[in-house]
Amino acid sequence: MLKLGFKNTYEDAFCPTDLKRLMKSYELIPHTADIRLKVKAKTQKELFVSACEGMSQILKKDFFRKASRCPLNLKVSVSSVDQTTLLIDFLSEILTLSQEHHAIFGKVYFLKFSQTSLLAKICGAKVDQFDNDIKAVTYHQAEVKKNPKGEWETTVIFDI
Amino acid sequence: MTISQNDLIKINNYLWEIPKSFRPNMRVPARIFASQKILESIFLDRTLEQLLNATTLPGIQKAVYLMPDAHEGYGFPIGAVAATACPEGVISPGGIGYDINCGVRLLLSQFSYQDLKPHLKVLADQLYRAIPSGVGRGGPVKLDTKRLDEVLKNGAPYLVTQGYGYQDDIDHIESRGALLNADPKAVSEHAKNRGRDQLGTMGAGNHFVEVAKIEKIFDNKHAKEFGVFTDQTVILIHTGSRGLGHQVATDHIKLMQNVMPKYKISLPDRELACAPFSSKEGQVYFSAMAAAANFAWCNRQLITWEVRKTWQKTLGQSGGRLSILYDVAHNIAKIEEHQIENQKVKVIVHRKGATRAFGPNHPELGPIYQSTGQPVIIPGSMGSASYVLVGTKEAMSRSFGSTCHGAGRCMSRHEAKKRISGLNLKAELAKEDIIVQSGSIRGLAEEAPAAYKDIDDVVDVVDQSGIAKKVAYLKPVIVIKG
Repeated sequence: MLKLGFKNTYEDAFCPTDLKRLMKSYELIPHTADIRLKVKAKTQKELFVSACEGMSQILKKDFFRKASRCPLNLKVSVSSVDQTTLLIDFLSEILTLSQEHHAIFGKVYFLKFSQTSLLAKICGAKVDQFDNDIKAVTYHQAEVKKNPKGEWETTVIFDI
Repeated sequence: MTISQNDLIKINNYLWEIPKSFRPNMRVPARIFASQKILESIFLDRTLEQLLNATTLPGIQKAVYLMPDAHEGYGFPIGAVAATACPEGVISPGGIGYDINCGVRLLLSQFSYQDLKPHLKVLADQLYRAIPSGVGRGGPVKLDTKRLDEVLKNGAPYLVTQGYGYQDDIDHIESRGALLNADPKAVSEHAKNRGRDQLGTMGAGNHFVEVAKIEKIFDNKHAKEFGVFTDQTVILIHTGSRGLGHQVATDHIKLMQNVMPKYKISLPDRELACAPFSSKEGQVYFSAMAAAANFAWCNRQLITWEVRKTWQKTLGQSGGRLSILYDVAHNIAKIEEHQIENQKVKVIVHRKGATRAFGPNHPELGPIYQSTGQPVIIPGSMGSASYVLVGTKEAMSRSFGSTCHGAGRCMSRHEAKKRISGLNLKAELAKEDIIVQSGSIRGLAEEAPAAYKDIDDVVDVVDQSGIAKKVAYLKPVIVIKG
């Protein structure tokens, strides 16, 4: 993890502050002891961004409705054995940084993105307290796949 | 493959078995401690499927056991005990859980509930102020790298040398509050950073500090030996290794997933990720897990210090000293010797949502509980009863010296919030003379007693099974929650 200066030369960028779009792209569903997030998106990159936004929403509800500035910029590099593992490891890395910096990350810019590795810049803002203490992002029941409608989807279970 | 009750062999009214032949990849049978009523609740989620998955771990021994408070987890179910051969078998971080050494400690006062009654409101307010709870609140000490490494390496005895406890506290903690194989170097910087300001904090979720009164004694002999009496005021502390432990688990589950192909290990669930115990990855995880366990014991030790200061501030000298009955771990792996097919065998016992319950004359118990067996503390859900039990010799042969750890969730947090109003719950508990101090009314609803199994039913199963025997019944009077 490195601190970055801003450079607008990214391969691609997604700003999940477009909440109207994203509110439709994930939903929270009941689970005995934890929180389960169901995520859908048109592309794999959008799926990763939506999952990140869903996790931010669990950590601090509607934080980016109120805070539009994201002064904290960090770089995340993840390599994993497959795309599902990559998504969970990516979310784990962001959760770790949220906990270390007491921050919520609401913007993701991908510099590199493949099936098994990614490099991204994440932007966020400090928060006084979280709504939920997420212990971990689990691999349990996660599977990134295309549904019959051609959308990418997965479930992510957070240990609370 | 779906499982129905017809697939279970009834061994007695409180023990059931799924034989090894049920699924081709099972290496040992699965055994379930449950009454008929509890068994029905276990079928409602994926607990049994996860239990069977745990039986497939390389080197697994004898049987995998499920406790009556079990529910669906990730990888292993919560409420499971599994032992793998040491050192030939594997160690699985998923068999220990994310909250390493989440556990419970019971403090005993010499103060009766009747004498405490006039001070209850003040004590509740003072405890709420003194113990940082909730999500993201830092603790009373921020550790620099050297002191954090001391905590990770030396556990609760280190904090006692720093003035945060009495020397005899250590004799009343499982493993004397420190696992000796802990290595701070095995803990990542991420994990250290997450834990650096969290020592002495309770956190959120089902963690709590509770003042209770001893309402009923079941076993006078053990109660007397434990120093427990009717109407006595006691204090329960339930928390774990906080963000540090969560990160240790996250780091090593990821690492082990990557190395499993190297060791030709294939498992039915990613969260069961494991490595041979004797491998570099297995040994590094075992050292890191031990360090996180030591952090958790220090956390409960520092909260004890906060409680003791508050107790004295509220009650003055008349409050007397708060002593520790015992401190038990719920999520941990340990090397222990157990009898398997008439032979003493060294195994790595994984307890995930389960409590060690060693009976009398066990060499690992110190002189204080050598003749009695260890105290077992089973906290109920918020506002419901808790229990003190005692470990038994029977637990050694029936469940690798283990018993249940709590009531066990049976309703999702979402459902609990939908059905229960936090404010109404607080008012209902007040009618039962239970004061609740919580940073989050929403969080209160999530932890409502209705979201959990009936603790009396759960404890009856372990008592009737002989894997721990009831000693005393605790009724809460003050609950402090995150």
